[in-house]
Amino acid sequence: MTYQPVPAAAAVPEVSLGDAFVTTSVDAVVNWARRNSLWPFPFGTACCAIEFMGMVSSHFDVSRFGAELVRFSPRQADLLIIAGTVTYKQAPVLRRIYDQMLEPKWVISAGACATSGGFYDCYCTVPGIDEIIPVDVYIAGCPPRPEAFLEAIVQLQGRIDRESRKERALMGTPA
Amino acid sequence: MSAPIKPGLAADALLALLAPLGGVRDEADRWGLTVRVDRERLRQALTLLRDGADARFDQLLDVCGIDYLSYPDWRDPRFAVSYPLKSTVFRHRLTLKVLVEEDDVAVPSVHDLYASANWAERECWDQVGIVFQGHPNLKRLLNHHEFVGHPLRKDYPCQKRQKLSVNDPMIDQLTAKLIALGYQVLEAPVATAGLPLTTHGPIKETVS
Repeated sequence: MTYQPVPAAAAVPEVSLGDAFVTTSVDAVVNWARRNSLWPFPFGTACCAIEFMGMVSSHFDVSRFGAELVRFSPRQADLLIIAGTVTYKQAPVLRRIYDQMLEPKWVISAGACATSGGFYDCYCTVPGIDEIIPVDVYIAGCPPRPEAFLEAIVQLQGRIDRESRKERALMGTPA
Repeated sequence: MSAPIKPGLAADALLALLAPLGGVRDEADRWGLTVRVDRERLRQALTLLRDGADARFDQLLDVCGIDYLSYPDWRDPRFAVSYPLKSTVFRHRLTLKVLVEEDDVAVPSVHDLYASANWAERECWDQVGIVFQGHPNLKRLLNHHEFVGHPLRKDYPCQKRQKLSVNDPMIDQLTAKLIALGYQVLEAPVATAGLPLTTHGPIKETVS
């Protein structure tokens, strides 16, 4: 097979201008930045929060996935991790925290309690936080292991990768 | 059956102490010492147990409400309030029990005898619906302020959930305490109460 040089007139900046240029889509760049720098807000109410600490600490080290900057203000976070049981008394607080977060924002429901109420099938426990706020990724387990938290973050990164500004605008969500 | 309670007073001596107040041993308690008294004598009995030289029950561990609605072969009043006591001096224990009729679910508050009774009685009111007469702040402790009914009553359907629409700041006592300590409270508590919260309202879906 013989080498055939690409014609210089081709409308690809990389060809005419060299390595100084990369062409891509806005979505790809924005999603690349968003997915690799998630700032989590831990809403830890039970033992799942201990596993969250395990995920953040050196042994499992979530900074390998760029989500190590834990924020305790919803205004500085874009990933809400609910790790633990949520009661009806707490429900308005959780909703308020979600409302205070800026777009774009994502939610991970960690463990059986946050996902379904767990074994607290009773008068005081919210049977799954998706009764109050939308959830992107659910984690099974009681409590889930730190690896499960990591997998949820990787799954969420995959979803962020497929987001598009146009779609968000159509849904009325700030891009 | 009279199990010795060591190293403090023996059960018999404690029973003798409460006998003038009409205290009767509850034989249903097979492991410890439970004494039934009338609610009219409750405060008197607690004072005696707390201050008596040989009793010295200086800790009130809890205030428990009991609903005997579905208890087999129960002919006594439906409700009971039980006061588990412990002496850190003699290390002995005793439980005082007051039976309460369903149509008059009230006992005198003992918050001035034991400080721990303040919140314990609030919890008991919240969960079982026992009214504590003379309590300074008898409001719910565990359930939210929009909750209707008392969930630990046997006739409350245990899976009946009740939603909360407006948050309760829950720091009214703290604010009062700060003012009593001489702090100047510039604003009302960070009041989320009163703000409309769309707890279960329609929400925009996040695109994924």
